Amino acid sequence: MAVTVEQQAPLVVLDESDRIVGVGAYAESQFRPLLGEVMWDCFPGSKPLFKPYYDSARRTREAVEFVQFYDGNVARVRAVPRSDGQLALYWEPLARLDTLTLGGLVTSLERSLELLDDRRSGLDRQDARKTLRIIEGGR
Amino acid sequence: MSNQAIGAPKGAARDAYVVLDEHDRIVHVSSVLHSDLGHWTGHVLWDHLPGARDVYGPCFEEARSSGRSVEAVVFYAGRLKRLTALPAADGLAVHVERLAELDVTTLGTLTRSLERIEAELDGRASARRDPRAPASLRALP
Repeated sequence: MAVTVEQQAPLVVLDESDRIVGVGAYAESQFRPLLGEVMWDCFPGSKPLFKPYYDSARRTREAVEFVQFYDGNVARVRAVPRSDGQLALYWEPLARLDTLTLGGLVTSLERSLELLDDRRSGLDRQDARKTLRIIEGGR
Repeated sequence: MSNQAIGAPKGAARDAYVVLDEHDRIVHVSSVLHSDLGHWTGHVLWDHLPGARDVYGPCFEEARSSGRSVEAVVFYAGRLKRLTALPAADGLAVHVERLAELDVTTLGTLTRSLERIEAELDGRASARRDPRAPASLRALP
C-alpha cells in the first residue's frame, strides 16, 4: 500500500535545529509566515510524533517515509536529508477527520486508523479504536 | 431517544439562546450570542449548519409537538452539547450548552477527549438514576 510521496517540491525545508528555512510554492500561504520559526513551536504536540523520524533521516543520511496523524489529518510524510544538513519534507494528505457529525467521525476515524500502519502509534491507535467501539455500540 | 421533558435551562445556557419560527428561521438571538450569531437573524438555521438538521431536528420537533421543554444531548461539529428547546408563543427558544469538545491534535488527545465525552454522558445517565438509561454514548444520535 506504500505509495511514495511524489511531490516535486518539498512542503518545507528544515535546518539542523528544525527551524523552517524553506517553503514550497504550494504551501506558501500556510508556511511562509512561519519562516525562521522552529517547527515544534508552531505545531504544539507534534514533536514526539515527527522528530524521531527526522532525526533518523539525518542520522542515517537516508530518506524516511512514514504515515502520521496530527491535527485531525493523516498524511504520508517523506523526510529527505540534504548534504548541507537540511531536511526536505514532502507531504501527502491521506485522510481528514470529519467531526461534523458522529457518523462522519466514526467513519473517518476508522479510515484514519486503517491508514496508520506505523508501529509506534499502535497503542494510541488501539485506545482510540476501543473508545470508538463504545461510541459505535451506542448508536 | 435521549430527549427528556425538562424545565428551564440552568446557568449560562439560560442566557445563550436563539428563537426559531416554525420554519426554523432565526427570529431572535440573545445578547450573549449576538456577536457570534446575530448576523444569522432572518436565516434558516440549517443553511448555516450543514448536516445539523438530522441531529438537532428531532429535539425541536418533539418540543413543538408536545408543547413542552425538551432536552437532548447531541454531538455536532466536534462538540457534545446539551440542547434545550422551549416552545413559546413567539417561537421555539433553543438553548445550547457546550459539554465537551473533541481535541484532534494527536491520537492521544483525541482518545482522551472521546473518553471525556463518554464520561460526561455516563455522569448524566447516572444522575438521571434511571436503570433503563444508557450508560454510554448511546445518548448520541
